[in-house]
Amino acid sequence: MWCAYVLFGTVFGWLLSRSGAADYDFVQGMFLFTELQLYGIIGVGVAVALPGIWWIKRRGTGLGGVPVTVTPKARHRGNVVGGALFGVGWSLTGMCPGPILVNVGEGKLYAIAAFAGVLVGASLFGVTYERWRKLLGLPDVAAKD
Amino acid sequence: MLILHDLEPYHWAVAGAGIGVLTLVLLFVLRRRLGISTGFENLCSLVVKAPYFRRPSLAASHGWRLPLLGGLALGGALSAVLGGGWAPIWDLGMFDAFIGMGPAGKVAWMFAGGVLIGFGTRMAGGCTSGHGIFGMANLERSGLMATLSFMGAGVITTNVIYRLLVGV
Repeated sequence: MWCAYVLFGTVFGWLLSRSGAADYDFVQGMFLFTELQLYGIIGVGVAVALPGIWWIKRRGTGLGGVPVTVTPKARHRGNVVGGALFGVGWSLTGMCPGPILVNVGEGKLYAIAAFAGVLVGASLFGVTYERWRKLLGLPDVAAKD
Repeated sequence: MLILHDLEPYHWAVAGAGIGVLTLVLLFVLRRRLGISTGFENLCSLVVKAPYFRRPSLAASHGWRLPLLGGLALGGALSAVLGGGWAPIWDLGMFDAFIGMGPAGKVAWMFAGGVLIGFGTRMAGGCTSGHGIFGMANLERSGLMATLSFMGAGVITTNVIYRLLVGV
């Protein structure tokens, strides 16, 4: 089954690579409003996924009649606080999480540093989780998926 | 044009539709909710033994999130190989033109940004894919709040750097 996810990741990674989503200049252009390519991509992506997700949820099953459940992400103050920290990082590096790996694959050497930073940052959050949980109303670890 | 081999990028409508369709294929065929940044926790959990990384649901998702991360890198590599050949790249477009740091400076800059991305996405519970694409397409309040927040912070940061500090 893991090969299916490698294949999925490869196609997704190709699209990110060739669309500008994994390109420093396109990301800065988006934030400067001088290049609207990535707004178009996110907008169309959401517009295409929206009716499909609605339909799959209404059916309640995926391919071959296997049950599919969609769990909405928890709402808490971390959405905004963490989102803002991520936004600063996205601007600095010109990469969001998927494109970091895509850029590493493309051979962009500085992306390896961003990838190392991401793992350090995520680890840092993991070991300090209890500190943020109450403060930001984050879900209990056991309830997280 | 892309930094990668000066390639012409796909039309935004084509790329957006592709990402939308991929999101639906993942849900309909593989029964997974699109999301990349949780995969970083899967990687961290292999080394860091904090209780946060020992939750059973995380280990249970190794089998699909880790191959997906590998696939993303493979997709990038394939794109380089077929787009003009794979070679190590230090080029960074606007950054080189207006900020202009050498390799060591870029590494430090990227590492710092990466820490914010890793920490921030985990605190937010998702990134551009899980909150921005899937969350918003599923009309989730958490997705909308996170997306507004990271887009806003990105707009402010880039404008401070390029319009205020270096003056594009």
